[in-house]
Amino acid sequence: MIQFEGVTKTYGEGSNAVNALSGIDLTVETGEIFGVIGFSGAGKSSLIRCVNLLERPTKGKVFIHGKDLTSLSKREVRSTRKDIGMIFQHFNLLNSKTVFHNVAMPLLLSGFGKKEMSKRVAELLDFVGLHDKADQYPDQLSGGQKQRVGIARALATNPSVLLCDEATSALDPETTQSILDLLRKINKEYKITILIITHEMGVIREICDKVAVLENGVVLEHGSVFDVFTDPKHQTTQKFVRSIMNDHLPESILNDIRNKKNNHVYRIQFTGSSTGHPLLSKISREFDLDLNVLYGNITEIQGIPYGNLIVEFMGERNQIQKALLSIQQQSITVKDVIHHAS
Amino acid sequence: MLVSSEQIIDALWETIWMVSFSLVFSVIIGLPLGILLVITRKGHLLENASIFNTLNGIVNIFRSVPFIILLVAIVPVTRFIVGTSIGTSATIVPLVFYAGPYIARLIENSLLEVDKGVIEAAEAMGATPGQIIFRFLLPEALSSLVLAMTIATVGLVGASAMAGAVGGGGLGDLAITYGYQRFDTATMYITLGILIIMVQALQSTGNILSKKIRRS
Repeated sequence: MIQFEGVTKTYGEGSNAVNALSGIDLTVETGEIFGVIGFSGAGKSSLIRCVNLLERPTKGKVFIHGKDLTSLSKREVRSTRKDIGMIFQHFNLLNSKTVFHNVAMPLLLSGFGKKEMSKRVAELLDFVGLHDKADQYPDQLSGGQKQRVGIARALATNPSVLLCDEATSALDPETTQSILDLLRKINKEYKITILIITHEMGVIREICDKVAVLENGVVLEHGSVFDVFTDPKHQTTQKFVRSIMNDHLPESILNDIRNKKNNHVYRIQFTGSSTGHPLLSKISREFDLDLNVLYGNITEIQGIPYGNLIVEFMGERNQIQKALLSIQQQSITVKDVIHHAS
Repeated sequence: MLVSSEQIIDALWETIWMVSFSLVFSVIIGLPLGILLVITRKGHLLENASIFNTLNGIVNIFRSVPFIILLVAIVPVTRFIVGTSIGTSATIVPLVFYAGPYIARLIENSLLEVDKGVIEAAEAMGATPGQIIFRFLLPEALSSLVLAMTIATVGLVGASAMAGAVGGGGLGDLAITYGYQRFDTATMYITLGILIIMVQALQSTGNILSKKIRRS
């Protein structure tokens, strides 16, 4: 478990002081994959570096499994870091060492014997699918392979927490997918708590259980990925969600709708089993309405199907009201688009 | 020609001897100095402004004195250490004072080239400062360090030739006393040729070694 308690990080002093983080309170439960998303400069990388004290919070505390890191001596911090693996955007491998020696490095630092070390490294390289690359050097590997080496290295000392600092941001989409699959496998098989920082909403949707949205050093909102995706409260969060849901109506269509006197355009959000029902045709028949679907999409978030429709209702006004009421009674969310999300 | 081939060979050995000894001592002084100049600077491993500023100042002072003046200026120190201020052994002292700070700067430069991310990864692994220096910084900079040492060695060959001015022996001494002061052009050119070959050989060896370490 990772807990941030009023974590503030200030760079510079006096009038030049900049708050990278302002009073962050967050809890990452054991065994979950927690994502922190934010644009660059939001304070993400300061936040993740406070977990292993690569950056020391100016104020506030960071707990790992209930132990306050900020109160530990340098030696104790070093030994705690062996329980916290970390992978990086630019991999940060030793170019002068082979894949084997890169992965063996944390073991070497911890004083493992040669035999034990070889065995463990072989195990790790097998796990990340690089058993045939042990004698190669990092510059002979692709980006995805380098990140796999980074992951193997981070796992060498059997950490209980893995920190991912923009770990897929330098990779192409396909490689990103394979690295995310690997992270999920690590989470499942080793029960390792994973904290990810990223600016890619796709990463969050793909593997995170929970998400926190960071901006200007403040957590705007946080919760389960499903809740944040289906009901983003803050504008920045909406921007992030839109970046992969792409449910923004083109401006020309929005203008057309605005120009109509009686426009009734609604966003209908289905979740779970309700995605399977033929809702629109029923409504259309029952209330004698014409329905024009402007946008439609169905996706899966955390294994739950999630449908998103933008529909123009055409017909008598009171019939439309009745129809909306009927939809809401089926626990399906309906929102006015023109006054809501333009 | 006023000198015998034995004299030239003797002088060559003296030069090699001077350069190798002063190189060893200069590295012994320059390496820790270079490492300290890196790790004590702002935002680095063991940030310490007062140590950094002091060392930085000392290195700058020595680096600003031309070797020919340094040679004379530190005669009392030389006499204290070797007992005499004349001869090949006596030349090693000023050579070390000259090359030590120079090597410190070269090493500092090489170490600064190491990707900060690697150091960050090392810290995240729980490495001690000592482990970071010897397991991460130095190995990662090795190929660049080899080139830096090549430059330093070539510099020492040049500086050792000036030792002739204080009767320090070696090829430079030969070139000055016979070639310059007695107008023995042949000796002048022969010593010059030997020096050129030495420098070429050193630089090529350094390049090959560095490339081999870099594996490219």
